Amino acid sequence: MPTLDLVLMIAAMVAILVPTAAMLVWFERRLLGFFQQRYGPNRVGYFGILQSLADLIKILFKHDWIPPFADRPVFVLAPLIGALAVLMSFAVVPMSPNLMVSDSNIGLLFFLAMTSMAVYSVVLAGWASNNKYALLGGMRAAAQTISYEVFMGVSLLGVVILSGSFKLSDIVLAQQNMWYVIPQFLGFVIFMIAGIAESHRLPFDLPEAETELTAGFHTEYSGIKFALFFLGEYLGMMLISMMITTVFLGGWLGPWLPPIVWFLLKTLSLICFFVLLRAALPRPRFDQLLELGWKWILPLALLNLVATAFVKLWGDF
Amino acid sequence: MNSLGLFYVSASIALLASFCVITQKNAVHALLYLIVSLLALALCFYLLGAPFAAALQIIVYAGAIMVLFVFAVMMFNINQQDIERESQWLSWQSWLGPSLLVTVLLVEVLFILQSQPAWTSTESQVTLIDAKAVGSLLFGPYLLAVEIASFLLLAGLVGGYHLAKALPHKPVNKEVNQP
Amino acid sequence: MTVPIEHGFVLVALLWAIGLIGLLARKNTLFMLMSMEIMLNAAALAFILAGSLWQQADGQIIYILIITVAAAEVGLGLALLIRLRAHVSDLNIDKLDELRG
Repeated sequence: MPTLDLVLMIAAMVAILVPTAAMLVWFERRLLGFFQQRYGPNRVGYFGILQSLADLIKILFKHDWIPPFADRPVFVLAPLIGALAVLMSFAVVPMSPNLMVSDSNIGLLFFLAMTSMAVYSVVLAGWASNNKYALLGGMRAAAQTISYEVFMGVSLLGVVILSGSFKLSDIVLAQQNMWYVIPQFLGFVIFMIAGIAESHRLPFDLPEAETELTAGFHTEYSGIKFALFFLGEYLGMMLISMMITTVFLGGWLGPWLPPIVWFLLKTLSLICFFVLLRAALPRPRFDQLLELGWKWILPLALLNLVATAFVKLWGDF
Repeated sequence: MNSLGLFYVSASIALLASFCVITQKNAVHALLYLIVSLLALALCFYLLGAPFAAALQIIVYAGAIMVLFVFAVMMFNINQQDIERESQWLSWQSWLGPSLLVTVLLVEVLFILQSQPAWTSTESQVTLIDAKAVGSLLFGPYLLAVEIASFLLLAGLVGGYHLAKALPHKPVNKEVNQP
Repeated sequence: MTVPIEHGFVLVALLWAIGLIGLLARKNTLFMLMSMEIMLNAAALAFILAGSLWQQADGQIIYILIITVAAAEVGLGLALLIRLRAHVSDLNIDKLDELRG
């Protein structure tokens, strides 16, 4: 019965993804420690490998407090939306030729749709907390995400033109001769910047900037709900790395090793790169972020799109 | 569950959510119901063989236009006073007239729909119309419509810019505040 | 997998009726805008249904145009409402009759 297989597959995906995201927290802290010449968490287990487990136990036993001034239903709903939207996007990621939940023919659009749904988590959390810092964080998140969503979509269109499909497995297979990172280098860079901005990673973590907004949209959150936001952020980073791998770096393609190993290797090196970015770059001001987006990245993305279309038509004639 | 059942489920969700939109007192809750209604309609589009429209419904409608709504409502800073005033306005008398009139219209529309013989013999299969077909039609015979739509968006942009500019410092139409 | 088209049109009519009731009964301009969105969506569903009935892509094209109109309308409408909130704090549509001759 195919439905049972599907349910098992989804359960397995969730059972693998969520602990991986938790491990990623430890991995990132260790790597940050390495980059910044300090230790990072190294006490619990070998190299501190059980640190995430310890954190998880601690966070589960914390008092799950809902502020009396908050809007209760929306306050509870907000973290769930974020984690769910990101988890659903993993359904279309092709990890190897036969390891994917759904090979939909609108896979790329589904990914964009779910990313645009993830905004609501941050915006609603900011609004429902009924706190001015949280509200400012939520409004920043709304402006930032609407802006960068545009560039994200436009930067992917170049790849869609070249491969002629929204289906992610088709896009991977079309890269057999050359990875799209070479003809679409501009699109690659823009998609990476937009991806960081969409997942609110440093240096673009303005919605939660600690130094100015205490913790931004999740100021009032604690316990399991805060853990869901945290999980959403790390799952988001994994998702963006996987999407860059799929769309620009040839997905599972590669010699000698099995496909899934290639896919994971590429994803892991991208995650390391994101951690390096976090360690190396300072946070811009909010107006600088929006100015960069609309005055520089949007024209570049459109230029890339037009040039790609031109080249494609030139080749066809 | 087959796609017919899915269609009825998402259609009922869309109806229920839309009903909640117009009866809610808190603007943000109403917006959330509106988003649910849009997502349910996106599923309907998908089941009707229009996957591209379904994706656009989520990306553009639910993901961008509705975020704009939420953004604006956050700037309004809705408080308890606003919600109480809404519940004062929503007395049953205010629902009575519109509901009656619209019900009459609805019955008429349903009667016309029911008396159409052509629609009862529908195709047995839902055919899938993919993004490629839409795109080649959009940039072929409908090119002028695309241009006009872009002019419309440009007009919206200019209008938004004008409205967002700060007002000059002269008293503008203060009488509006008086009841 | 067949969806009876006439049931789809019943859904369109019901959604449109809900939107119209909301538009007539609410006094808050913000809620009236939301009701208009419901009605726009009912119209969009009607076009998608027609496209599905005749198996043409034209329905989806009109849908894209509807989305464009909705985007422009919402952008301008909300900008106007934010301006309005400074003068009429409850956004009551009945107080906006200043233009009568």
